[in-house]
Amino acid sequence: MSTQFIPTQIKQRHTGPAKGSHDASDICRCHEPSEGIVVNGESYLPARRSVPIVSVRQLDQGVIELVICDRYMAEHARPAQFANLFTHDGLRLMPRPFGICEICGDEVSFIFAIVGAGTAQFAQMKAGDSIDVLGPLGKTFDLTSPDARYILVGGGLGVPPLIQAAQYLHDSGRENRTTAIFGYRKHHFADSIVGQYSDDVRSIDEEQGNVITVLDSMDAELRQISDPVVILSCGPTPMMKAVAFWASSRGIATQFNLEERMGCGYGTCVVCVVDTIHGRKKVCLEGPVFTAQELGWESER
Amino acid sequence: MTTAIERTDALSSSQSLQDMLTLPWKHPTIVAGVPWKNPVGTASGTFNVEACSRFYDVAQMGAVSTKGVSIIPWEGNPTPRTAETPAGTVNSVGLQNPGLDHYLANDLPMLKRMGANVITNVAGHSDEDYIQVVERLADKPCDMLEINVSCPNVSHGGMSVGTDAKALHHLIGALRNITDKPMIVKLSPNVTDIVGIAKAAVDAGADALSLINTLVGMRINTTTGRPILANITGGVSGPCIFPIALSFVWRVRRALPDIPIIGIGGISNGDNALEYLYAGANAVEVGAAALLDPIAPLRIARELDDLLDARPELAEKLAEGRTW
Repeated sequence: MSTQFIPTQIKQRHTGPAKGSHDASDICRCHEPSEGIVVNGESYLPARRSVPIVSVRQLDQGVIELVICDRYMAEHARPAQFANLFTHDGLRLMPRPFGICEICGDEVSFIFAIVGAGTAQFAQMKAGDSIDVLGPLGKTFDLTSPDARYILVGGGLGVPPLIQAAQYLHDSGRENRTTAIFGYRKHHFADSIVGQYSDDVRSIDEEQGNVITVLDSMDAELRQISDPVVILSCGPTPMMKAVAFWASSRGIATQFNLEERMGCGYGTCVVCVVDTIHGRKKVCLEGPVFTAQELGWESER
Repeated sequence: MTTAIERTDALSSSQSLQDMLTLPWKHPTIVAGVPWKNPVGTASGTFNVEACSRFYDVAQMGAVSTKGVSIIPWEGNPTPRTAETPAGTVNSVGLQNPGLDHYLANDLPMLKRMGANVITNVAGHSDEDYIQVVERLADKPCDMLEINVSCPNVSHGGMSVGTDAKALHHLIGALRNITDKPMIVKLSPNVTDIVGIAKAAVDAGADALSLINTLVGMRINTTTGRPILANITGGVSGPCIFPIALSFVWRVRRALPDIPIIGIGGISNGDNALEYLYAGANAVEVGAAALLDPIAPLRIARELDDLLDARPELAEKLAEGRTW
């Protein structure tokens, strides 16, 4: 995934309804340029900016969906890209990077767990508040194969980029080419969201098994498919490694969206590195998408 | 607690980036004989040309100090490499960098093509490491060198040189013999006598001093009881170190009235930069603020440029490159 994926055939992108439960037009007063900022013939990415919050709601105990209005991000974000969100607290300055989830019109959603004081503050924010953002950042899943069947394997709070992948494939007319396998601890909080974009959602929780249980159950089915199968995955590292092992033993291509504790999020501070067969790479700039082969995960259990 | 909010309002329109990138600079300066179009540079470790030039024209900075470069590639420390702390961050990257060959083939030519005033920050594990890098840079188009003897996150070289006046004098003397480039020595605050260290660097031939590098710090996860950083300790940066760093610049300026000084540490806005100039700095470098917003260094340079309008004496001193 060393090159930015440029979409070629998008049918219905950004035409969905606004997600906010109230009249979003009151809040969504986006004035950001829809293209990069051009100065003296050079194009620059928009820097950190303050944007309105459209809605904040709880999807599950401690799991929050936050929707912002940002035209630039809505038009440019692609699956697996992320954005930095910033608290209003002058003591908690560092960016919080979140994978971009749904895009509807000028609205962009994020799903995250409350894991500390920063995310707790985001959860307390209300529609109409402003929030600082930077993005979209990072590279994208490679979704260029027109014939591929995409299996989206997510674990817990790793599901947002896979929801975006499902939406992207749906909006480019490939909704029947995706299967979402989401593993949850308990509540299946994202099924209804991904279900809007994928005809085939097979989720599982810890009482029932795990994502490998579901993949195993698809073994025979996948052998029948003549089209190339591609697994996109995001979640806890042990889960992703298990997926890599499962897929490599069957010759199935994989792309993993990694998480790492980040500093800047845009490639300048060299904090969020991962070891690859090509050396240590920055997850934020050279990722967050890497293949099992790049990560040396093909033979690991 | 409202600085972040106030700050970002100024950034939200494209018009302001347009102005930031196109208005003429009113208050240039000269640092160790090298003209800067404004007194604000980027600090090493928070500037990467490929990453930053996507957001702004890096040639608009007074100077850019590039990530510490070593003679061979360094892998750096294991992750996690960062932990948040109130009004700042603790990091332990360990100077991961792709090495001098990569720098000379990629970063430096790209920066010069863009028209940037380049400070090449030099890292090493030993005197010999530093010497090899500086020798190879002698005929390269970087404008200044910044000798990093203050990184707290490498086990050899780095801070172990910058906290020992004798070792520092020896190293800087050796480098002085092999380069005519303006040589800045970047000092560590993790010392008992900053003036003694500063004097050792100047006596050995430093053309300028930059200070401070990060302060040694750590955070512990109270759920696990273990340090957050894989390297256990790291370097603290951000607004939380601003008053500490400022006092270091003040003390060195009092003791050494003639050496050009670049103030570094916790600068969030033009007014912070101005405090450094009043403390005796000739210029500043902006570090951690760039982690919060890619264009923070440029914004701070613009804010300072406007603040200097009302301070003609200070502006004149800067324009002539005078020190205290």
